[in-house]
Amino acid sequence: MKKSEVLNLPSMPLQSPTFPRGPYRFFKRQYMVISYVTDADAIREALPEPLEPEGDTVSVQWLDLPDGEGFGAYSAAAQVIPCTFRGERCNFISQMYVDNTPPLAGGREIWGYPMKFGSAALAVTGDTLTGTLEYATERVAVGTMVYKHDAFRTDYSRERELLARTQVTLKLIPDIDGTPAIAQLVAVKFEDFSVKGAWTGRARLELVPAVNCPLADLPVHKVVGGLHMVTDMTLPYGKVMHDYLAK
Amino acid sequence: MKAEQILRLPSMPAASPSYPMGPYRFINREFMIVTYETDPELLRQVVPEPLEPNPESHVLYEWIRMPDSSGFGDYTESGVVIPCFFNGEPINFTAQMYLDDEPPISAGREIWGFPKKYAHPKLEVCSDTLTGTLHYAGQLVAMGTMAYKHQVAPGGVEAQAKGMTRTSCNLKIIPDVDGSPKICQLVGYNLTDITVKGVWLSPARLHLIPHVNAPAADLPIKKIVGGKHFISDLTLPHGRVLFDYVKDQAP
Repeated sequence: MKKSEVLNLPSMPLQSPTFPRGPYRFFKRQYMVISYVTDADAIREALPEPLEPEGDTVSVQWLDLPDGEGFGAYSAAAQVIPCTFRGERCNFISQMYVDNTPPLAGGREIWGYPMKFGSAALAVTGDTLTGTLEYATERVAVGTMVYKHDAFRTDYSRERELLARTQVTLKLIPDIDGTPAIAQLVAVKFEDFSVKGAWTGRARLELVPAVNCPLADLPVHKVVGGLHMVTDMTLPYGKVMHDYLAK
Repeated sequence: MKAEQILRLPSMPAASPSYPMGPYRFINREFMIVTYETDPELLRQVVPEPLEPNPESHVLYEWIRMPDSSGFGDYTESGVVIPCFFNGEPINFTAQMYLDDEPPISAGREIWGFPKKYAHPKLEVCSDTLTGTLHYAGQLVAMGTMAYKHQVAPGGVEAQAKGMTRTSCNLKIIPDVDGSPKICQLVGYNLTDITVKGVWLSPARLHLIPHVNAPAADLPIKKIVGGKHFISDLTLPHGRVLFDYVKDQAP
């Protein structure tokens, strides 16, 4: 392969790039978001400067992604910390677990989504919307939510505000000698999103301490509530908000 | 978390880094390598310049069992390695790798540019046969079989340990946040502190099944050259940039 062709590759490996070029369109992307009150000191410790905490409520989210262009069909779970960057309200993605290489590698390498391999599932089981997460064969999280108790709602302005909010990731890529090559806060904003349905209701959340999947490091003091939402959206490239290596 | 703490993190996520700082020590790392001859024109296409493929058009198809890997755990790997030349010196280019553990996938890609994907490889002794299989996305894509310890390799463990000091390289590609190439390099590294505990040559066969996302069969098997089985302890250190596609002038 010629050098000029090498520079045009979207990703490794050369013979079958793990992920194509973006942006990436998602159809029927389904969320269950369980918000809960946690420890304010633990939030401050988990949030990279110069991000500032916004209150003491965080969320654990489950995502079912049946049709992610370039990525395939997969599931994910994430921990999200609301925060501010120079006064702007943002969501910091602190942990994320997926069961599929293209979004795992693409997520880490393009934007710095903090992805590890974990087996998340989001399913309707009898009367319960149920999210589970297994890491290294152990159950580390279970979220449950009532199923569509507030049907017929048509005002999705709060959900649209949530989807429009800037997501922030901490992208860290080492150089070949182990020193940091990239250390940035990256901003990502969803585009062309539509809310196909959204429901709120009672929810419960159990987090199990596990060293390599430490969702429970932000302990559940009180569950605020659940949000169930189905969307179509586009995940575009991002922007560097803050460069830790800039002189 | 403060900026100076962030710059000391070895990897993402800050809450529980995927991998610690290297180097990485492997104990009882067991290899089965089936060498075969392929089509020279197809080989030329998958070797990035300025590397030159070996004139015999040999390809190494490998299974590696890694039960005790510092920082990474217990996992298995399978993949394609192409003997090449770089500025006239012999070098092994890693073309494809499949494994069942996330920290070595992320560390491999992000530090050295190992072209790793998540899949399900297996290496085990099944009655009289050393057997390697690879399943990708639920489908069998490679099966290698080798007779079990028929002959100690000429030169024994010393010659094998010396051979393993040969430079290896990867094509490391990391995009920038806008999709443009941020890192696009040929990266070289050399294993250190190698102890070989046994090395055997035996007859072998290899079967590769075409699959778009695990395309080992894109380098078709014209002739099996042979099989090698060995067990070693070794250290994988950081590496160095051999060629930078963004910065270095094209000749």
